Amino acid sequence: MAAVADANTEVNSRDFPNPILPRTDITYPINVLYCGVCSLPTEYCDYSPEPEKCKEWLRQSLPDQFKAVSAGGADDAAAASAKDGEEGDQDGGDDDRKKKQTRGGKARVKLPAAEEKKKPGAIKLSIASRGKKKYVTVVTGLGSHGIDLKVAAKFFGQKFACGSSLTGDDEIVIQGDVKDDLLDLIPEKWPDVDEDQIEDLGEQKR
Amino acid sequence: MFKKFSEKDSVSQSSQLKSSVIRNLRHNFLQQYPHVEPYFDEIWPKRDNVKLVKCQDHIELIASQTGDILFFKQRDGTLLPTLRLVHKYPFILPWMQVDKGAIKFVLSGANVMCPGMTSPGGKMSVVAKDTPVLLVAEGKDHALGIGMMKMSTEEVRKTNKGIGVDLIHFLNDGLWQMKSVK
Repeated sequence: MAAVADANTEVNSRDFPNPILPRTDITYPINVLYCGVCSLPTEYCDYSPEPEKCKEWLRQSLPDQFKAVSAGGADDAAAASAKDGEEGDQDGGDDDRKKKQTRGGKARVKLPAAEEKKKPGAIKLSIASRGKKKYVTVVTGLGSHGIDLKVAAKFFGQKFACGSSLTGDDEIVIQGDVKDDLLDLIPEKWPDVDEDQIEDLGEQKR
Repeated sequence: MFKKFSEKDSVSQSSQLKSSVIRNLRHNFLQQYPHVEPYFDEIWPKRDNVKLVKCQDHIELIASQTGDILFFKQRDGTLLPTLRLVHKYPFILPWMQVDKGAIKFVLSGANVMCPGMTSPGGKMSVVAKDTPVLLVAEGKDHALGIGMMKMSTEEVRKTNKGIGVDLIHFLNDGLWQMKSVK
């Protein structure tokens, strides 16, 4: 990994060469290690919203990398904090820094993983009548289980040989009364879904 | 450009590209970056169909068959590689190195100011105005952003004030978080 930056230290002038030529001693593509928590390359974890979590992740999943980073990172961190001190207010103690917002905000971006943590809710099945003797089946809640709704709608349509469409945010309408089949089909198709999570609401008005 | 970008709201449609259009795009890209040629077939296999994903604000993404986003462009601008791609092949664009103090600003989406590149921690390639550049950081191995030069390298040295590089795409922005397209 370190090899990338070294590419240019050999050049005598202070500038980068232009264009930068691929190095012969590395094979491309370079395999970059991305943090499982903040999704950045691991060297940028310090700038993530929760560096502690990132470190924890790295320690658990890649102990070797963690050692390398923490050994090299100690100097980095020291240097960085020294620099921060210079840049900050003259008295720049820790308490002061907490009170005042430093210039440029916090460089904090929402973690992508945070959204996924939403707990999967119940899958609700209901039928609604269309006219006297025809029904449609309404399925809601599939999206919260991480199921691609578009794919699911198409799958239902093919399975039951009927119309099936995505009608709203997390709502699939299947033409025909297929509620009983769905009760078996959903856990079969998506093993992650627990059978108890599927709720049968019976007939409901739309 | 991608600060407020999300897969859900910004993508309007995606379609397969015609092979004649692909040929054109490939040709134009290689004309601009001839030194990439030995690796270009690896980056973008010749026979590979690619998807064009149209987004809001005239942004277009080019994604490989497997869904990895390779390039993006706005309006009729030049094709630019995404950060994930540049991490694999960092030689595509000329480099601009910013100093340590600038990293957090860039990561929150700020444009790069001239002093960030002229200070001891910074380092530049000699390029003209309006050249797309890769932003790397002092002491880091991997790139943190892609930007467009607002002035030439010479001007950056001379004025040493104000915006030097317009930030287009940076780590953890909307495009970064959109890992793949369907």
